[in-house]
Amino acid sequence: MDIVSYMFSKSIFVGIVVGILSLYAISRQKSDLHTLLLTDLVECAMLVIIAAIGTDLAEALILPGLVVGLAEFLAVSEILVYRNEMRKNNSSNNKKLKLFEEFLAKEEPYVSTVNFNKMEILYSAPKFIGFILVLYGAFLTGFTGGAIMASGLLFYLLSQGAIGNGVSLKDIKHSWEAISGFSGIMWAFWILLGFAGFFLFPEHYLFFLVIAGCALALKVGSKLGLIGSLRIRS
Amino acid sequence: MSLNIDSIAGAFYGYVPFGDIVFYFTEFSLIGFIIALFFTLVVYLTKPEKQLESQIGDFGDKLNYVSLEELKIRRLMAIICGICTAFAMLTGDLFDYALFLAVIGIANMGIVSAVKKEGVLSAAFYYGIIAMISTLPLFGASALILAKTGTLSILELAKNSHDLLFQKIIYAVGMVGETGIAPFYAAKAEMFRAPGAPYILMIHLSSLLIIVRTVEIMLNIH
Repeated sequence: MDIVSYMFSKSIFVGIVVGILSLYAISRQKSDLHTLLLTDLVECAMLVIIAAIGTDLAEALILPGLVVGLAEFLAVSEILVYRNEMRKNNSSNNKKLKLFEEFLAKEEPYVSTVNFNKMEILYSAPKFIGFILVLYGAFLTGFTGGAIMASGLLFYLLSQGAIGNGVSLKDIKHSWEAISGFSGIMWAFWILLGFAGFFLFPEHYLFFLVIAGCALALKVGSKLGLIGSLRIRS
Repeated sequence: MSLNIDSIAGAFYGYVPFGDIVFYFTEFSLIGFIIALFFTLVVYLTKPEKQLESQIGDFGDKLNYVSLEELKIRRLMAIICGICTAFAMLTGDLFDYALFLAVIGIANMGIVSAVKKEGVLSAAFYYGIIAMISTLPLFGASALILAKTGTLSILELAKNSHDLLFQKIIYAVGMVGETGIAPFYAAKAEMFRAPGAPYILMIHLSSLLIIVRTVEIMLNIH
């Protein structure tokens, strides 16, 4: 198999991929000049497909294809220049027109007038995500579970601060004491009840293991949750 | 020359053995050729439309007319469009047909953009973008047909069966983007009832004839 036959399908594939990527780029661009330049890229992909044949006839076809492409490119660029001049002259009523406007009769959403603080998801989502994280941490138990529970609590508190709904200083004072007290009690559970009982009554090891794991999770979770309170206070 | 072409395009009258580009005459292509030439003549002879814009509650009635300079350019573009349509009816070469379509596209752009209004110029610009993009399927499909069969001549392709369904679909897509879609953008220019209406009608006529001729070619090659 000679090199032309070997490369034929690959060249066709490359040409079509370049064309499709250019179409995607045209759909994403902002200015008309970029549209024009990217459209020229599509024509280069067309030349790639013709050149993939690799015979004398293909060589004879590339030249007219290139000439026609350049002629269209020049005509379109001339129209673009003239239209921009006209737009500059009467800039009072410059309505922005879009590429497929003839087929799409749709109003654009007014992004600037949307009130982002009124979005429902900002109020409901943090509770849900925090709840899921705390549940998953309780399911894991141990030090890892405590860290995940704490991240849920932290996320909830930080998101409350972010939407301007922070906890007041008086609430913080109470909750700080409560959480640190709760954390101390859990520490006692973990060390004294779970860890010590683990050695004293080895035949009931499963019971003490569960106590130690849950207590450790609650202790680490509440301890790290305090960081969120600190952040809000400062 | 035994041809399968008679069944669709009518009786076969002969061809011009002129280099690579072979023009051939059938009943269908001769009828299309004569129609296109006749309307080109009509466009050449008619004077452009004038219009009177009356203002309600005001006395500022004004007459819109086409200046001589603008008229010359638009008439030239319309005549080029008509002649290209006429010879696209006759050609027997797929790539040549694609080149005719591209030239018709450029002429359509010229006719639309001669109306000096911003919205119309935008329509011409976007039509040009679509036409440039669809050179990829149009010329690409003729290249694929050449790669598969080794020839671009419609007369040769009509003899044997080649299983060209996919290539024909791409070719038709290219034709739609290049010329078939032009009336949608010409409607933009016509909506304003631009002075000089007959030239814009040439876009509709060429688009119609080209679509019919493309269907005939796609049925002939197989």
